[in-house]
Amino acid sequence: MMSKTVLVVDDESHILHVVSLKLGNAGYEVLTAGDGEEGYELACQSLPDLIITDLQMPYMTGVEMCARLKRNKATASIPALLLTARGYALGADDLQRTSIRHVLSKPFSPRELLDMIAEILGESAGDGKAREAA
Amino acid sequence: MKIGRKFSLMAAVAAGVCSAGAAALVPALGLSGATLIIGVAALTMAVVAAVVFPIGYRHDHQTDLLINELTTMAESRRTELIETGSELQDLRTAIQQAMDSLSARAEEAESNLREVEIRHQVSEAERQHIEAILHSLHDAVLVTDAFNELKMANDRAGELLGFRPAEAMHKSIDDIIVDDALRRLIQDERDLATPGHRKHADHAIPSSIPSDDPESQGMCYDVTLTCLPDSRRGVGGVVTILRDVTREREISQMKTDFVSKVSHELRTPLSSINAYIELLLDGEAADEESRQEFYQIIKSEADRLNRLIDNMLNISRIEAGIVKIERTEVDFISASKKAIEVIQPQANLKEISVHLKSSPLACTAMADADMVHQVLLNLLSNAVKYTPEGGRVTVAVENDDATGSVMVTVADTGLGIPPDSLDKVFDKFYRIENYKRVAKGTGLGLSLVKHIVETVHNGHISVTSELGMGSKFRFNIPYDADGA
Repeated sequence: MMSKTVLVVDDESHILHVVSLKLGNAGYEVLTAGDGEEGYELACQSLPDLIITDLQMPYMTGVEMCARLKRNKATASIPALLLTARGYALGADDLQRTSIRHVLSKPFSPRELLDMIAEILGESAGDGKAREAA
Repeated sequence: MKIGRKFSLMAAVAAGVCSAGAAALVPALGLSGATLIIGVAALTMAVVAAVVFPIGYRHDHQTDLLINELTTMAESRRTELIETGSELQDLRTAIQQAMDSLSARAEEAESNLREVEIRHQVSEAERQHIEAILHSLHDAVLVTDAFNELKMANDRAGELLGFRPAEAMHKSIDDIIVDDALRRLIQDERDLATPGHRKHADHAIPSSIPSDDPESQGMCYDVTLTCLPDSRRGVGGVVTILRDVTREREISQMKTDFVSKVSHELRTPLSSINAYIELLLDGEAADEESRQEFYQIIKSEADRLNRLIDNMLNISRIEAGIVKIERTEVDFISASKKAIEVIQPQANLKEISVHLKSSPLACTAMADADMVHQVLLNLLSNAVKYTPEGGRVTVAVENDDATGSVMVTVADTGLGIPPDSLDKVFDKFYRIENYKRVAKGTGLGLSLVKHIVETVHNGHISVTSELGMGSKFRFNIPYDADGA
């Protein structure tokens, strides 16, 4: 069985690194992008199972990137998880124009992030690792 | 008080006294009808005299005249009026008493009148005083009655709402206030509230000064509406006070933005620290090399937090005016050499050459040496950060005798600053969005530089830049401490 692919988009290299490490160890295939524009292009090319994105980034915010992805038929259904240091609450409009399912505030726990990813992808935490081992 | 009014009042008082005096005379003297007629005539004359003649006129003299007149009248009409000298004396005494009583009452009336006059003057002065106070207020005040007509408005209300208070008196607010929302507020308060009720509302009034800023919301006012009671405890009118709270709202918004930015900037490195520690605790570092890498990242992010807090505190201290400034004679050429030495390793990594162009003359000014070092270091650090490999950074130090200051220019051949960001680069936490990936920063370095140059040293800093060609930061520090 193919492992699921998660695209992580953040302009903070340490966050990209630490999230990639955590998800990689859990058996996910991880792609990374350093800004909204790069994230959009990579999402269109690779059609990941889930996108984890920062809110405030160069060129395009995480919400704008997700809104663009939803307008694109090929990427419209990819669920997203927003990571933010802004204490940002999604408005009804943001929810409607994007596929963002959850918002996680920075600083965050990589363990909680992993649980949330599993919940969104409809699997229990650790399934990815189990899959990899199998 | 006008003279006519004074005399009419006196006449009224005198007429009342006259009737009372006549009634009293009849039983007291037991006079015949004819005598009474003459007596009343005399008394009336006395009253007329009291009214017509000034109060100060001596009534003894008037009495004498009256008696003489009576006597003449009796003789000419051959009326048997006065049989004996004692009756005449009695009449004289009675008239005298009536005159005394009249005189006393007239004096009392005049005294009362004087008091009323004084009270009127005092209340008029008080009214003018209160009006002067209302007109001096920066808040706009307008009072409307139960019919929504303007009863009073100060100058500020006129300026703000576009009417002339003197001309607008007693006119309906429908005819003088163009602002629909404000009119509705006043009318609702009159129609729906009870006497003494007070209500606050926020109200925006477009600024009279045209603004190029599309986000400009005009002026923001706090409107207080208070219902005035009438004599039957109904709503007699409404007092409306408009207080300009635009600046307060701006400051409040700035504070909210600042807290939000600080929170964002603090959470970002904290987030990395937290995540790496959790990975270490969960044993997710594959080997010792990974663990060492994690430790290094945690350390560098902790340093970043520390720098951020230091910068914020320094800016806050300068803004609050509580920073300790130690002014000495600072040699800016030496200070620049020292700062270049500190930044040189960073420049070497990118093969950026750093040059110093200095005046052959000494360039000194009374300044805080540590703060000047901080300014030079921040400007040089930015120049190196945003200049591509192989670029060039130049520091020029010279005396600017025209302004009586030392002028330092830090120029680079870097990315340059987009024109729409030029006036924002000194703002707290401002970072050019597209350059965030080029270099890390707190967004506070240039803000601190501006504060040190301008707030602490009374100097000036400016920036010019061309995209793709580089930037040039120039600051002046006055030769002496007073900036003269």
